[in-house]
Amino acid sequence: MATIALPGTETTAVQPVSKGPDRRGGRGGRSGKAGPVTYTLLTLTALVSIFPLYWTVVAGSHTNAEIAATPPPFLPNASLFDNFRAALDQAPIGKAILNSVLVSGSITVGTVLFCTLAGFAFAKLQFRGKGLLLSLVIGTMMVPTQLSVIPLFMMIADLQWVNQLQAVILPTLVSAFGVFFMRQFLISALPNELLEAGRVDGASTFRIFWSIVVPVARPAMAVLAMLTFLTAWNEFFWPLIALTNANPTVQVALAGLGSGYVPQRSVIMAGTLLGTLPVLIVFTILGKQIVGGIMQGAVKG
Amino acid sequence: MATVTFDQATRIYPKAERPAVDALDLEIADGEFLVLVGPSGCGKSTSLRMLAGLEEVDAGSVLIGDRDVTDRPPKDRDIAMVFQNYALYPHMTVGENMGFALKLAGVDKAERARRVAEAAKILDLSEYLDRRPKALSGGQRQRVAMGRAIVRSPQVFLMDEPLSNLDAKLRVQTRTQIAALVKRLGTTTVYVTHDQVEAMTMGDRVAVLKDGVLQQCDTPGELYDRPANVFVAGFIGSPAMNLVTGQAVEGGVRVGGAVLPVPREQLARAAAGNGQVTVGFRPEAMHLVGPGQGLPVLVNVVEQLGSDAFLYTKLADEETDDVLHPSDVVVRTEPRSAAAAGQKLWLGVREGALHVFDASTQQRVD
Repeated sequence: MATIALPGTETTAVQPVSKGPDRRGGRGGRSGKAGPVTYTLLTLTALVSIFPLYWTVVAGSHTNAEIAATPPPFLPNASLFDNFRAALDQAPIGKAILNSVLVSGSITVGTVLFCTLAGFAFAKLQFRGKGLLLSLVIGTMMVPTQLSVIPLFMMIADLQWVNQLQAVILPTLVSAFGVFFMRQFLISALPNELLEAGRVDGASTFRIFWSIVVPVARPAMAVLAMLTFLTAWNEFFWPLIALTNANPTVQVALAGLGSGYVPQRSVIMAGTLLGTLPVLIVFTILGKQIVGGIMQGAVKG
Repeated sequence: MATVTFDQATRIYPKAERPAVDALDLEIADGEFLVLVGPSGCGKSTSLRMLAGLEEVDAGSVLIGDRDVTDRPPKDRDIAMVFQNYALYPHMTVGENMGFALKLAGVDKAERARRVAEAAKILDLSEYLDRRPKALSGGQRQRVAMGRAIVRSPQVFLMDEPLSNLDAKLRVQTRTQIAALVKRLGTTTVYVTHDQVEAMTMGDRVAVLKDGVLQQCDTPGELYDRPANVFVAGFIGSPAMNLVTGQAVEGGVRVGGAVLPVPREQLARAAAGNGQVTVGFRPEAMHLVGPGQGLPVLVNVVEQLGSDAFLYTKLADEETDDVLHPSDVVVRTEPRSAAAAGQKLWLGVREGALHVFDASTQQRVD
């Protein structure tokens, strides 16, 4: 027995040491040094991706007539700031951005918290009616938003919440997709033994959730947070119904921009740029963590 | 420190036809090291998890000391468990892993640090206290799992195949370390393994389970010398005991071309069922005899281990050399013995080394 086992001993002993170089070697071997083709393709992709944003800047700094000219202008100019001012005069964009931060922030915190709780329950806890409940939750994904808009509006009106932020926050505090997403992640990423070790160590279910489940779920929570924040920031349909221009989110405020006999596209573009900037800044700062989160989530989930 | 009692403890999984653990009766003394052993699916892990409170008890009861803990949650049982895959919290350092239970129990920070440092010293983990489990080798992780258990000074240690993720050499080392450590701490320990060598070397007593039913619980020596039934006889020992079923005849049991002598009274009781008797003899209980005097066998394979040699042989006909039975008869001989594959040999069983079982009930007959 001992003779058979000896080679196994060596591999295990060597493993931690060899892991690092192995990985690096593997990565180097796969891609090698990026050649001109790779660089050209990546540059093209980057240009195509960044063009709409750049065009927003260009269009935001020219009048309708200048944009319509052939060839169109390709450089922004200083009148962008005049258009910023026009947009800010026409719609309460400052307030709208603040509102959007509040709304999207609350929705993100709520969704991540509740979806992780529910996902954990569906993934790892035993309770009666679990299968039925889960199919109900997933089933709600098949109901189109449009169908529930009228009853939802009636409820909001009864609560006298029209034109108040809780009217757009509350209905989206938890999402069926998020519950399912967290459940799928936790089923594979969270070993049952970890929960059992927690129970033997004397932790309550809530303590287990807080001290063991949340740290393990963190990568998936980051991904869910990013997706939720973006969706909430871009949400237009329901906020347009529940809010007015007196207390708008960014998207609602933008809808009221540049209106008139001929829409002022430059003002609309300048306003759009203003409404997008906060998200851009946040994602430039947090980009690395978010990409890391997506990667981790992808590998584990 | 406490005794542990299983009283007719039964676990039936939902939708299962037969119980995973069937009316288990076990008394474990204070400070005893008891090993639960058996093939996979025999209910040994389930029994341990019933004691831990991780598995429901459908009938009967489980006691720790005088306390009936059958319906108590794990945290009220004062136990510590070592899992097969260690179940270390990946986001906590070694020190935090070991101190987590104490933290939950409300032990203050200084006391916690003191006890963790003490346990780390015993397990030679002092320099790793600030590392995450990810940065540790398999053997170190195993020790952290042990540390997490001993730091609490519980009444009972539960260990669920704690060595099976280690490579063979480390497993043998750690085996002796765990046995010594537990002996030193004097804590009652229930240890689950599928490896009978581990069971025999570590346990004060060993309980053999099969299909959820306790077969025998005894000291390693007794299990080896006096297995209670055919299953235990075949399970304990490596290579396994040779077991052959034959017809009871005058003076003994006919096996292949020879009659193995069995005392008359013992033979009568063993053959009471259907006249068939199962006899068992260990590889080391055999010796070579002259032609025509014992069991005729044909050598199939010779294994040289240096200290011993094992002959894997088949029962053969006395005259024609035809193989009579497909199963192997394993014989331990002197190293570098002259036997070669294809050779015909005659085997005798040492006096008093023959185990006799009733073939219909599979039970031992003395």
